[in-house]
Amino acid sequence: MSASIKKLDARGLFCPEPVFRTKIEIERMQVGEVLTVLADDPNAEDDISRWVQRNGHELLDLQKRDSELEFSIKKVK
Amino acid sequence: MATKVLTDEQVLKRIGNTPLVKLESLSNEKTTYFAKLEGHNPFGSVKDRAAYWMIKDGEEKGRLKRGETIIIEPTSGNTGIALAGIANLLGYTVEIVIPEKASEETKKIIASLGAKLYETSDDLCPKVGAGTDQSIALATSIAATRPDKYFSPNQYSNEANFLGHYKGTGPEIWAQTEGKITHFFTGVGTGGTITGISTYLKEQNPDVKTIAVQPQQNHLIQGLRNFEESAKPDLFLRRENVVDDWITITNEQAFDAVREVFQKEKMLVSPSSAAIYAAMKRYKVDQGCVVGIFADDGRKFKSLYAKQNIFSEEDFDNALKEAKHVSQIVYL
Repeated sequence: MSASIKKLDARGLFCPEPVFRTKIEIERMQVGEVLTVLADDPNAEDDISRWVQRNGHELLDLQKRDSELEFSIKKVK
Repeated sequence: MATKVLTDEQVLKRIGNTPLVKLESLSNEKTTYFAKLEGHNPFGSVKDRAAYWMIKDGEEKGRLKRGETIIIEPTSGNTGIALAGIANLLGYTVEIVIPEKASEETKKIIASLGAKLYETSDDLCPKVGAGTDQSIALATSIAATRPDKYFSPNQYSNEANFLGHYKGTGPEIWAQTEGKITHFFTGVGTGGTITGISTYLKEQNPDVKTIAVQPQQNHLIQGLRNFEESAKPDLFLRRENVVDDWITITNEQAFDAVREVFQKEKMLVSPSSAAIYAAMKRYKVDQGCVVGIFADDGRKFKSLYAKQNIFSEEDFDNALKEAKHVSQIVYL
């Protein structure tokens, strides 16, 4: 279990704002910390997953409940 | 330094009525050439006009309320500076969405004018495109989910951007040339400048010719667009028939002209202004009165000019000391 889990609620926001907010949060975090992101724009699934991969972070988990997405992202570098 | 503090009202009154100066190096017995120096607007560029007119129009239409509305706009340059400066004076919070690759000088100026900066990168959402397209997508998404709080002027389609030139710059040029203008040269970014001024001038004299200046593909000329590689903005498409002819200028021709304009006219100009000079020099005019828009001066381009081997930083500083027609810019 990580020392600290931060949370970003991006529900109600349209892409690319959820991925942009995710990027800002990750930049503010320490390596090893985990960010939970909630989003409900279907485009966020692709945008956020790809951004996490491209930037070398780790997508620990992606839960889907109805139209809601919950990402767990670990800052790796 | 002759620094004096201007009131907000005085700053806003300085928008427009920019000088028209004769270009001796191009003029001959039959043809007189002039440059309209838009760098003399208070925040240093032609974009002060668009920013001011778009905000005023938003207020008149009830879309903007001082102290409440946040103005958000995607831009990579002068519009960000103009909106940040002018909206701040009028009591609005401003958020500028800018590509992270935009010049550091521009970002610093926008931040110093009190605007919040959102920097976008091309890896954010690749499907929307690159550069300013990323910034446009983010600004649109932020404004769309909070219409009660945000207003995006959108200079690429806002009719007020056209009107600022149709009612301001066009009549100024007509009066300053005493109705003698025969040829008009300017670049195309949003299309507001070229369509606004040309529409007015052609209403006064249908024989006035408008020559649109475009940079080469993969260009380094901030503020201009090449329409083989990027789409024509809505605002331009509405009246693109005002253009009588096109001329394409290469990066090299524009940068050579930066040096030439300084040597011959003692003016330190921006790359886009130099492109206009290069176009006026190359385009054949038998007789008449030619006016070109110099959208801003060279002061934001010290690092670019050093990189392009036009002026070393030391030469740039010396050139600025010698330069004529240097305006007073609010943030300097």
